[in-house]
Amino acid sequence: MPQFTQVNERMLAVTLAGEAVYTKRGSMVCYTGKVLFERSFLTGGNVQELGMRAVTGEGLVMMKSHGAGTVHYAHLGQFVTIVALDNEMLYAESESLLAFDSRLQAGTMFIGNQGLQQMVRGAVSGQGLFTTTVQGRGELALLSDGPAIALQVTPERPVCVDPDAYVGHKGNLSSSFVTDVNWKTFIGQTSGETYQVRFSGQGTVYIQASER
Amino acid sequence: MTQTVFTPATLPKNDNINRYAYSVAVDNHILIRKGKMIAYYGNLRFERLGSTVLDILVSNAFNSPLSINDFICVAGQGQLIIGDLGNDISGYDLDNANLTIRATHLLGFQPTLLCQESVVPGFLTLLGTGRMLASSNGPVHFVEPPCFADEQALLGWADCPCPAFRYDHNYIRGYASAVGSFTGFTLSGEEKQVDFSGKGTVLVQSSEAQLAGQGGLLSSLLAQLSGLEKDELSTLASMATGLAGKRR
Repeated sequence: MPQFTQVNERMLAVTLAGEAVYTKRGSMVCYTGKVLFERSFLTGGNVQELGMRAVTGEGLVMMKSHGAGTVHYAHLGQFVTIVALDNEMLYAESESLLAFDSRLQAGTMFIGNQGLQQMVRGAVSGQGLFTTTVQGRGELALLSDGPAIALQVTPERPVCVDPDAYVGHKGNLSSSFVTDVNWKTFIGQTSGETYQVRFSGQGTVYIQASER
Repeated sequence: MTQTVFTPATLPKNDNINRYAYSVAVDNHILIRKGKMIAYYGNLRFERLGSTVLDILVSNAFNSPLSINDFICVAGQGQLIIGDLGNDISGYDLDNANLTIRATHLLGFQPTLLCQESVVPGFLTLLGTGRMLASSNGPVHFVEPPCFADEQALLGWADCPCPAFRYDHNYIRGYASAVGSFTGFTLSGEEKQVDFSGKGTVLVQSSEAQLAGQGGLLSSLLAQLSGLEKDELSTLASMATGLAGKRR
């Protein structure tokens, strides 16, 4: 299985022994050994998923690296976080997904199907109503602006997040849109934190220090 | 390397999570700059200053009408995580101190401190005992007076007399260098300096560039633009061009 290692806070190394890894297109910085890079349209999925991505505009532009050797990846000096999935599902924006190994399946999910509030959330955060999902057992790497902070969520301890600071989340979480809207908002006296996303359930939420 | 997963119990209490993020244990009230919350655990409310009876009490700590719209009151109990667009964040414990800081760099402070406008425009003075948060472009460096600082890199000063500007007028001596200076050719760019004397500490950031991102008012205006119709946007654009022309 592909070995993910963190070279430094902004660089990822993947050691391959005949397997494949999917990464953001053009993110290879150097490699040793014999590794081939090819543009991957299907990204390990099927034609239906490709069509889904094309329709929803979740531009998961990935390439496939396969062979034997060690490949280093980096993207625009953004910080890299390695996440291990153990038969879980991770949700992230397609642009913050740097790499995932070929044992994992990528998909596109409509986040508006959990009720009207989710649609409002997508419209407010400007991040669309569709998100990329990765599921299975394996490793992946996320990109963030500044080091990603992992916050644990338990049923007793939900966490509220600024939609602009959200990177991704994994586990069995449900998100709801929290408004701090009261009569003062309508006369222009907002607290600046009017829109928040509350995650509850069991899992982990990843946030970045920089608001997009 | 495995990543630490934080829980409310393992999050730092009033300390940095990393260079760009800071965790505050809120147990009563704290004043923070608008829009800088990135996440929180617990039961927290975000209120504009002066809008409820509760924070009318708190806003006794706030005596700066110029920047009252930039700050909000966080009330309740919980763990608050603050981030500022990738700028460095540092927290300082003030003990019966007198600290003056560039207003745009003040991120938050406990209401036990009294915040007032400094006589130097664009600066705020914090008096008393409590914790404050400041953001800076690059790590903060501390210097003991007597010293001279660059105007742009100056973040603030603590417990020392109010500084003055010092102009290095060497460049106007002699005919040739006067011509050179008027054309800007021989200027080093460091002719205007801030002169500190007395005892205290001077805070300098590691960059002469301003903070990343837009100012509080601008970013809150931009956040609301998506709600405007097309013709409303063009009205706004023409008004903004007109105003910008008058300012010049």
